[in-house]
Amino acid sequence: MISLRTMTGPSRPSGDRRLALALPAAAILVALALWPLVQLGSMSLHEVTAATLNRDWLFIGLENYTRLFASPDFPRAVGNTLVFVAVVTLLGMVGGFAVAVAVSSPTRGASYLLGMMVFVWALPPVVNGSIWKFLLGDHGLLNEAIRALGGSPAGIGFLYDPQLALWSVALVNSWAVIPFNALIFRAALLAIDSEVLEAAEMDGAGPWQRIRYVLIPHVRATATVLGILTVVYAFRSFDFIYVMTAGGPGTASTTLPYLAYVEAFLRLDYGQGAATALIALAVVIVLALFYARDVRRSEETS
Amino acid sequence: MTQNRRRRSMMLAAIGAAGILALTGCAAGDTDGSPESTTLTVWHYYNTDGQVEALQKLADSFTADHPGVDVQFEYVPVDQFTTKAVTAAGAKTGPDVLVYGASGTYSLAEAGAIEPMDEWWDAYADKDQFPDGVMQKVDGKLYGVQGYVNLLGLWYNQDMLDEIGGEVPTTIDEMEAVMQKAVDAGHQGVTLTGKPGFESQWQGFPWFTSHGFSYGDPQAKPMADTFQMLQDWVAKGYLSREASTWDQTVPFQQFASGASAFAVNGNWQIGAAKEASFAYGVAPMPISSDGGVLLGGEVQNIGAFSKNKELAQDFLKATFFSVSGQLTLLDYFGSIPARADAASDAQIGDDPILSVFTDIVQQQGRPSPSPEVPSKNVNEVEGLVGDFWSKAVASDGAPAQLADDLMTQLVPLLKG
Repeated sequence: MISLRTMTGPSRPSGDRRLALALPAAAILVALALWPLVQLGSMSLHEVTAATLNRDWLFIGLENYTRLFASPDFPRAVGNTLVFVAVVTLLGMVGGFAVAVAVSSPTRGASYLLGMMVFVWALPPVVNGSIWKFLLGDHGLLNEAIRALGGSPAGIGFLYDPQLALWSVALVNSWAVIPFNALIFRAALLAIDSEVLEAAEMDGAGPWQRIRYVLIPHVRATATVLGILTVVYAFRSFDFIYVMTAGGPGTASTTLPYLAYVEAFLRLDYGQGAATALIALAVVIVLALFYARDVRRSEETS
Repeated sequence: MTQNRRRRSMMLAAIGAAGILALTGCAAGDTDGSPESTTLTVWHYYNTDGQVEALQKLADSFTADHPGVDVQFEYVPVDQFTTKAVTAAGAKTGPDVLVYGASGTYSLAEAGAIEPMDEWWDAYADKDQFPDGVMQKVDGKLYGVQGYVNLLGLWYNQDMLDEIGGEVPTTIDEMEAVMQKAVDAGHQGVTLTGKPGFESQWQGFPWFTSHGFSYGDPQAKPMADTFQMLQDWVAKGYLSREASTWDQTVPFQQFASGASAFAVNGNWQIGAAKEASFAYGVAPMPISSDGGVLLGGEVQNIGAFSKNKELAQDFLKATFFSVSGQLTLLDYFGSIPARADAASDAQIGDDPILSVFTDIVQQQGRPSPSPEVPSKNVNEVEGLVGDFWSKAVASDGAPAQLADDLMTQLVPLLKG
């Protein structure tokens, strides 16, 4: 006798049961992700400071937002954020791909470079930032080298020149993100069939042509997802700015996430801080939606 | 809807406090298991070696007289202190004693993390030893007392002054003349703080009040003059533009290494100064009679949800508020005792550095936060002014424009 189970394959939970199994995860998601977001939104519509946090919050509508938009710090923070994201994303992606190509061959130098990258990637940002703050200081390694090579005796104000501070932190942040991107790109490159590369070589393709016509097309899907992740990473970046410049000099390197921190935790205006954080978050959510869409598409394709 | 709001707020606070307690593994007023032992929790943000050692010394002296008490110090980073205390108060918990920055008094009082201490303070036999300047009041009620004060002075390198033929200055003009000589001899003129935020407001106060600025009558001109002075110092090489990123520690390290003729820094650097390999001294700030120096230092009070309030009062009376306690703090990190009898101790009078700082308290001391700043806007005002001080040091704008921009944002905050 053939059982029904054998005929229909392994039994699968019904739709209701599957929903029930997802409940614990959904509850945790609601408690730890959705509920804080709702609170953040609520805070941004109320007057909430350290003094009033434990009382009834006064509803003030969009006043926190109008105050934020009227603040001279806001446009500067938005501009700084865009520059920061552009630099980190561009250098992180290009640098990550270049390093991945360099370490994709099984040579001793490539293994050494790979090991160094993992080390850099594993360094806590606070340690990383502190080291770079020391290196970029007035009497740090870079400025001493510039002086030794006959450059400006005054050195370069990497971290205190208002025109340079943001770029300096963005470059350091790019440097920190390159190893991760390189590891992801390397995994994608290793998936390329070696015969394809050999065929390209036999057809007379030089190194640059192999990169242009074989490697880049093969990693395009990976690059799209990684690009979105890098933009999100850069957009919410806070630690390097906190350690290296504290948003300064003045507000020269203040980005939206750092501005939210200053408002909420230094000036103790949680309502204003929540409004700033929500604006930053909105951009991240839009990017996350693109990411989700892209992942779904690639799953459907595969 | 209001009740919902309150419930939600309390729930948030409860979750936060539960997390805090779970992480710290202790609670105010907890006993450690043995019935005769009581734990007294003290929240603070001391983080230098001297400060931490001083706290332990205070605890040791207190537990020697109270064998059944275990004093537990909990370090809370300064930028998280007020938020953590307020969140804990929302869950009706918190430490027995808080040692906190004066600018947090209003928020802590309004949030109910601390209570008025008038009743027990009035009954305290030694209360008359404390000057009014160290009383932190909100709406006329006493919400904290500073057991000591910290303040800025002008540290000078005596060996360098001898080398360049300079005298200890008493005015800004005299100081600039000496700094010019120092720069001509290949040295730096002065080091000071320019990091964005509160520290720079504290650093800037003596200079902009010396130029005639007052929070009670905020005008752009004296602030522009101050910024002009700073930018002139940078242009002439007296002050490094890098100061715009320095907190209070870095510039003193530079001074102690012999790099500059002067350092505008605090009495808490006494220990660090001893590492210097040159003769040094401290003088009152070379500012005009309009100028003043903010009297900082941490404030002490009992936590509103302490389960051992009387014991906590005894702790404060025996440590932060006692002569021996204040002299211990003086020993370990150079804080100037608030008590008149402790301040007149020979340990201070005979010390060439400490005696100058006590003179500065008398001659140039101003209460902190400034009374003209509305309590609810203290954090915002101090942060804003500090940011503009940083911008001025970094030359991120012309002095007049910076001053105008600052006034545009500052004046509404000062109106409350």
